[in-house]
Amino acid sequence: MAGAFDFVPAIAALPLLAFVVSLFAGQYMPKRGAEAGILATAGSLVLSIWTALTVAGITGSATSYNENLYTWVAGVADGAVTLRLGVLVDPLTALMLVIVSLIALLVHVFSLGYMNDEGETGLPRYYAGLGLFTASMLAFVFSNNLLMAFMFFELVGLCSYLLIGFWFREDGPPSAAKKAFLVTRFGDYFFLIGVVGVFATFGTGLFAPITEGGTVVAESFPQMAEHALEDGESFFGYSAQTWITILGMLVLGGVVGKSAQFPLHTWLPDAMEGPTPVSALIHAATMVAAGVYLVARMYGFYLLSPTALAVIALIGGFTALFAATMGVVKQELKQVLAYSTISQYGYMMLALGSGGYVAAVFHLTTHAIFKALLFLGAGSVIIAMHHNENMWDMGGLKDRMPVTYWTFLSGSLALAGIVPFAGFWSKDEVLFEALIHGFGSTGTLGTMFLVAYAMGLLAVFFTGFYTFRMVYLTFHGDARTDVARDPEPVGWNVKGPLSVLGIGAATVGLINMKPIADLTGLHIDFLHKWLLGPEEGGWPALTSTGLHHYEELMHNVAGIDPAYPLGETTTLLVSALVSLSLALAGVLVARSLYNEPEPVEHTDKLGGAKTLLMHNYYQDEYQVWLAQGVTVPLARAADKFDQGVVDGVVNGISSVSLFTGSRFRRIQSGVVTNYAALMTLSLVLLLVVFVVLGGGV
Amino acid sequence: MAIQTQYFLLLSAAVFCIGVYGILTRRNALVFLMSVELMLNAANINLVAFSFHHGNLTGQVFSLFTMALAAAEVAIGIGIVLVLYRNFEDIDVTKAATMRW
Amino acid sequence: MTTRPRLATDVNYVNGLAALALFAVMGYVFMTSELGMPAGFADGSITASIGYAMFDMLDQAAIEAEGFLVAFIVIALVLDAALDGAVMLARREDDESVVAAITDGGRPLSGRESDGADAETATDDVTGGDD
Repeated sequence: MAGAFDFVPAIAALPLLAFVVSLFAGQYMPKRGAEAGILATAGSLVLSIWTALTVAGITGSATSYNENLYTWVAGVADGAVTLRLGVLVDPLTALMLVIVSLIALLVHVFSLGYMNDEGETGLPRYYAGLGLFTASMLAFVFSNNLLMAFMFFELVGLCSYLLIGFWFREDGPPSAAKKAFLVTRFGDYFFLIGVVGVFATFGTGLFAPITEGGTVVAESFPQMAEHALEDGESFFGYSAQTWITILGMLVLGGVVGKSAQFPLHTWLPDAMEGPTPVSALIHAATMVAAGVYLVARMYGFYLLSPTALAVIALIGGFTALFAATMGVVKQELKQVLAYSTISQYGYMMLALGSGGYVAAVFHLTTHAIFKALLFLGAGSVIIAMHHNENMWDMGGLKDRMPVTYWTFLSGSLALAGIVPFAGFWSKDEVLFEALIHGFGSTGTLGTMFLVAYAMGLLAVFFTGFYTFRMVYLTFHGDARTDVARDPEPVGWNVKGPLSVLGIGAATVGLINMKPIADLTGLHIDFLHKWLLGPEEGGWPALTSTGLHHYEELMHNVAGIDPAYPLGETTTLLVSALVSLSLALAGVLVARSLYNEPEPVEHTDKLGGAKTLLMHNYYQDEYQVWLAQGVTVPLARAADKFDQGVVDGVVNGISSVSLFTGSRFRRIQSGVVTNYAALMTLSLVLLLVVFVVLGGGV
Repeated sequence: MAIQTQYFLLLSAAVFCIGVYGILTRRNALVFLMSVELMLNAANINLVAFSFHHGNLTGQVFSLFTMALAAAEVAIGIGIVLVLYRNFEDIDVTKAATMRW
Repeated sequence: MTTRPRLATDVNYVNGLAALALFAVMGYVFMTSELGMPAGFADGSITASIGYAMFDMLDQAAIEAEGFLVAFIVIALVLDAALDGAVMLARREDDESVVAAITDGGRPLSGRESDGADAETATDDVTGGDD
């Protein structure tokens, strides 16, 4: 029986086909290749929804799937590593597949308005890039092993590079593309070492065990790590605990790079040089999510290392606050959104680090929707403003582009975390999980979580502030330029995706309204149930990627437990109220400062702090300094070593053979007599040897 | 009374070494040819000697072929010497060094 | 002007020592070898037997031998080819005429130019020298 799972590879294959079609035949299509992309992503969306329904148990009996499909390096010897491509489908995968293909579809449609209607050239290249990106991202999502994930992780990075640098004739985009590529590559370098480490340690990169008829035929590396921890094994001279932490931190390098976490976040704001739909698809909703998704994918592994968890939580909390403060002073619409993206991914990392698996996935979902919405809304504004992104040149767009305004407002409320929009529910859950686990966990781990929580909580205020500063500056007040007074109208292909996402941003939070569920006793925390499974015991325990298994691990290995200082319900409500009131405070401050006909730049009052913030805390400067002051001399020294010692030895050896060769060359005199003499002497020598040895008899 | 085989061998060795001596010490291509001829005939002596030694005519027949081959070799060799002379105006083997490194 | 054979003076005696050494070793080996007395041929005509052996008529041969018909044919062809080759090599490229072999011991001829008249004189001189 061909079920939905047999078609999972097609989810990625369709956009790949679109990539090929757009690349080679795009020139001859009326929309320059967009048709292929739209059809393919629509197909992917349908297949993804079918897959999700199957996982939910509605259209089939099997609710998870994990198979190796293709072996591309077969290990021959015992203990040799076999490298495979395979498909893993579980609730997390299914959810992510739907998100990615939905956003990809909407972005393709939006691109019709943003790129085609603006008369851009090189569109087949653009749509080919989008297609390849979508294919790689979807394949990354359903990868069943770490190496395959790594390969597609790199491919999405490549697509990001290609698409950021789409306008390669200008100065900014190529440089931004190069920066994005290099910075993420720096993180991926550690990821690669981590992948090799995992393969060397466990001999497999499977995220989940492969089962046949209820028995495990191939174990997954998180499981093996778990057993190793139980048995007190040691790897390469380290205890299992330490080694797992090392591997986890190495893989985390790739995560930090891709998800733009401190200190490798610097590429994301620059990546805004790319076309806005690309920013929406790649740099807000999907590719940046790859890092967080990877941590969620191998969460069973990270749970074995409390140290790694604490680091993740701290990075997340710090990034959330750090990026939010920079968003406060930015003048360009997309820059604000870029920093808010960094900040929001910080929340997800915070949630993952502090044991809030559901919260992280929830925030991933809602953020994908509302951030894609905000970027597309920004794209709509940018079309209207003739590609001027400076918010100080806007103003009063509310009446002139109502669809954009209302949808953008929906996204902004979600981003700021105002009830009942999506961001409120998810962000509240993130903070709540960090809080209760901070109180409940023992020792330093709990303290770390509380510190991270405090930073995350503070960031809520800034989020509310910069979001509404952006909204007020863009849409309210008087139009400050002629263009803003008479913006260019946008078409259906812009409004359509905006409306879909606008409704989504308002409602997607309803899938996991935990506070309401706790208050009323209704079981409406659907996402929790989705990840937990239809019955008690969770998702097929054999896949070991279920929430149930993670909760056990959290308690048993990581030592993370919830604690409610004010009782369960009260704590929940207090936490929600605190974050909501902080968000509202931010919004109100923004309103009081910027909701006037002629707003002035109040951030000027910050003085030196503003300069610091405008320069992004001199992050770029110190990284350039690191590159030029430390790496270049290091590289030069290495070069000297290479040239002097390594090449010296090699050249020395070769000069020996050159010298002996030049000496031996002399017997090749070209004079027959000399050859004959040599032959004669050799024959004499040979005969003498035979005689001495007794004739060889 | 037949002569012992090793004396034939000694003779052949002597003829052969004279040929070798000629090749080693002279530079004239024609002398080379003659020396090679000597060496071939030393081989012929060996063939005939062992033919007699084993009472089998094969060696003798073969020595006839060797002579024919030597004739062919001389024909070609002299042709080469001619060309050599035409190109280098000399038949000193050490002078023909155009194709040498 | 006639030339006559002269003693070679540009002889490399050092290389010649190698030939002497070879002779010494071979002589030592042969004289110390114990081959025994030769078996000799059976009664009958050796020449006739060689003829039979060359034409593969071994049953009529008086003395034991092997058939050499193929080698005979091959040698015939090789000789023919060698003759053709020699003629081809000896032919002058420019005037297609066959030139007699010059046996002047490799001594450079003074004033020998590529024009035909001089070459003829030189040939005459050398031929005279050989007489």
